[in-house]
Amino acid sequence: MPEINVTPLGAGQDVGRSCILVSIGGKNIMLDCGMHMGYNDDRRFPDFSYITQNGRLTEFLDCVIISHFHLDHCGALPYMSEMVGYDGPIYMTHPTKAICPILLEDFRKITVDKKGETNFFTSQMIKDCMKKVVPLNLHQTVQVDDELEIKAYYAGHVLGAAMVQIKVGLESVVYTVSVNKSVQAAWIDKCRPDILISESTYATTIRDSKRCRERDFLKKVHETIERGGKVLIPVFALGRAQELCILLETFWERMNLKAPIYFSTGLTEKANHYYKLFITWTNQKIRKTFVQRNMFEFKHIKAFDRSYADNPGPMVVFATPGMLHAGQSLQIFKKWAGNEKNMVIMPGYCVQGTIGHKILNGQKKLEMEGRATLDVKLQVEYMSFSAHADAKGIMQLIRMAEPRNMLLVHGEGAKMEFLKGKIEQEFSIDCYMPANGETVTVKTNPSVPVDISLNLLKREMALGGPLPDPKKPRPMHGTLIMKENSLKLVSSEQALKELGLNEHQLRFTCRVQLQDPHSDADTLHRIYTHLKGLLKGYSIQHLPDGTVMVESIVIKVSSSSEDTNTKVLLLSWSYQDEDLGSYLSNLLKKGLPSGLC
Amino acid sequence: MSESEEDFDNWIIDSLKSYKDLHVFQMEHPINVMDWTSQKTVCTAGSGSSKSEILELCLPPKLFADENKSLCAGRDFTVLHGAFTDRIVSCLQHVPGTRCIVTGDELTSDLQVWDLGGDESDIIRRTGSIKGKSQVSEGGVRMATTPTHPPQILHGSTICDIHLTELNTGTTLYKNESDSAEPLSSLQFLNDRVFLASCCNGDVYIADSRMSASCRLSSPPESLDRCNLWWTNASVGPDLSSCRIISLSATGEAVVSDLRNQKNPRNVVSRAQLNLQTHQCNLDHVMLWWAPELKDCFSVSGFSGEVQIYDTSHWRTELQEVQPLFQHCGHAVSSTLSDRDVPPLVTSHIWHPSSPQTLLSAASDGSVHVWDWVIPSGPEPEQL
Repeated sequence: MPEINVTPLGAGQDVGRSCILVSIGGKNIMLDCGMHMGYNDDRRFPDFSYITQNGRLTEFLDCVIISHFHLDHCGALPYMSEMVGYDGPIYMTHPTKAICPILLEDFRKITVDKKGETNFFTSQMIKDCMKKVVPLNLHQTVQVDDELEIKAYYAGHVLGAAMVQIKVGLESVVYTVSVNKSVQAAWIDKCRPDILISESTYATTIRDSKRCRERDFLKKVHETIERGGKVLIPVFALGRAQELCILLETFWERMNLKAPIYFSTGLTEKANHYYKLFITWTNQKIRKTFVQRNMFEFKHIKAFDRSYADNPGPMVVFATPGMLHAGQSLQIFKKWAGNEKNMVIMPGYCVQGTIGHKILNGQKKLEMEGRATLDVKLQVEYMSFSAHADAKGIMQLIRMAEPRNMLLVHGEGAKMEFLKGKIEQEFSIDCYMPANGETVTVKTNPSVPVDISLNLLKREMALGGPLPDPKKPRPMHGTLIMKENSLKLVSSEQALKELGLNEHQLRFTCRVQLQDPHSDADTLHRIYTHLKGLLKGYSIQHLPDGTVMVESIVIKVSSSSEDTNTKVLLLSWSYQDEDLGSYLSNLLKKGLPSGLC
Repeated sequence: MSESEEDFDNWIIDSLKSYKDLHVFQMEHPINVMDWTSQKTVCTAGSGSSKSEILELCLPPKLFADENKSLCAGRDFTVLHGAFTDRIVSCLQHVPGTRCIVTGDELTSDLQVWDLGGDESDIIRRTGSIKGKSQVSEGGVRMATTPTHPPQILHGSTICDIHLTELNTGTTLYKNESDSAEPLSSLQFLNDRVFLASCCNGDVYIADSRMSASCRLSSPPESLDRCNLWWTNASVGPDLSSCRIISLSATGEAVVSDLRNQKNPRNVVSRAQLNLQTHQCNLDHVMLWWAPELKDCFSVSGFSGEVQIYDTSHWRTELQEVQPLFQHCGHAVSSTLSDRDVPPLVTSHIWHPSSPQTLLSAASDGSVHVWDWVIPSGPEPEQL
């Protein structure tokens, strides 16, 4: 039985290091290659020893696919390709390809420069790794080789995030990290993959609405502004910054607020550049804004100059980088940290070692360069705007995609018996939840399509006997021709013709002795009546030349030379009618019933 | 932007001042009943067409983070345990001091007993059932609990079939003797032995479950229209005489009475005509609660898409129209129902046992809100 194997890689049970190995149709694919942020040693990387104990991964993997730019999905990529060794193709969407190296470099700098680590990939390794990347367009089928094809679909999770369909022959797997419910996933309706793989980190949650998160954000900003404080929002160029700007602009307009909002220029240029490139990847709201007016020509949001940070009075500033680890956001933070009227809003996860991470852990005194300490008196707010699928989202995903099997990847060891039961009950499919390092084998049942020649079909249908029951298999004679990628069923004559061979006929003959006092002709007639009564649905003819034909089987009667009551029946059939011929000979050996006339 | 989106946006902006905290969730099925299982966890039952899903949820961590509230980003419910049942659950009660809940459905008077479980598994297991004693009345079975050892459950659907059953053994500890088949609107313990049985016609009976005597009728005030439909809730105080009863009719007449004089009919403290904005014919989901931590305040839902909170401290004995102290309109404005002609109905709401202004409410469109409201300026109700 054909099967698909799925193994989440990794040495621990913690969340955050996405890397899944899929074996389908003889091909091996790695889905994502993430870094675990919580560990400082090799445990932060997936355990590649599962693939091979020593040496490079190139010959063991047909391709690597990265779903989106978050570090827990691509953070270990340069390590895998340059330090462990992999030279094959790495597939990801265009935005992911553009953003990954920036994040990887930032991350590398923090880890090596701030934390002083040594066993880490270098800047050159990141560059070399990205050279192996083959970018994907949406809805475009890519032939990895002559058997493996992949296709990317819009996932709506972050910019450039994709759902990926992997197909080998008639078996397919779909991998998704999350599906934004606003995504019109019409394609998924026709999909029906053998396995749908999804992250389930948030599968046991029910998410608060986006509006309420935004409300909380507006409330905090408003309260700070009202008391004359300043709000710093450290952002990554392509994170939530644009959406938050649109939100604030609308709010300012509505409430008639006067406090200035600034967006640092570096941010503007980069963002403009990327958004223009990837306009098809952004969500509706941003696209509408971008089309209506040029990205950052807001009424209330202006370009920032570093001198503004010293201006008195309330203001809001968006600045990079997002984790306060360097640059402008850190400069502004240092100036504003000492005043409790001010606020810093962290809109996402911060890597260990950064100032962002420290203040989110409640640290009130920070050590700066030159042994100076910074007192953190301003209010620190942690807000999460991430868009992972929750319990309901996963059910909706399965409802749309209609997979034959469901596989949830989670690193938490969290008990999800209830969700598993819910999925199995509602959709009548198996739901697997492998732990890291555990392989799940899913048996597939691919159908093999074969074309049948019209002549053969017509002939089989014209043959007598019980009509073919679609549920009951029925033997038929034909020849299977496998040419290029197609399978064809044709009649034997057709096949012989194509091969240029002569057809040979094979006939069987059988003699059956029968005791019957009647004349030959009468005996034949009795045989005819007997068979006619028994073999309804078959063509049975009593021919004037003194034979009975059952389909194409010929029956003749002659008397034995010694005894006229001993009849010898001659049955003759071609090999195609072997079944019926054998049946008739056995039947007639039993003799004729007496009541026949 | 569509009109409904605009309404919701407007409401969200207004909410910046009127709510301290606000969380909006969308469930797959509308939740009909809820009960607290601890300070931070709640058990809900929501029904689709033929099945119910029972969930034990943990409140968003941010709500109760205290000093570290701003550093806590968790705004979501966590599903701790879950189960399915083939019945439409119409009532649910947590048994205090245990990890048990008891559910009842609309069709029978049987009760199902469940074990919520601990850390080993996330499945809620059915551990037993209590056979109903009679045909269920239209309203379904009512239940009440009080902390006792061993755990017990008070249940019944009419005056004559009230039973107190010991959970572990199924033994009947108390049974009301009565001829009246008047359907019950609620059962409520006033202390660990005395309970109130309120009828749909406004009658209220009192009984002591440790005595075999039948429930004693505490006649409603003479002015109560017994042909109307009534709901009742009692505020539990240090002794019975301080117990206040709020009665509400289907036409919005509210009467506050008490048991201080122990006389019949009950002493009327005050009354008012509420502005309930009823547009529903279906009154199966009406809920009426005294606020556990705000003096003289009660809440009502089930007549519309709003939850209304009234302050009775300034009510008088003459009937007059009053306006609610606060209205939670969130369900009505945020409705995702496509048919705007059928606005959502609030199916259930409960007060948090100790956080004075925190409530949980659910509506027929599957929405669930957790909200901590700000008392509008003016004389504030005392905190208890």
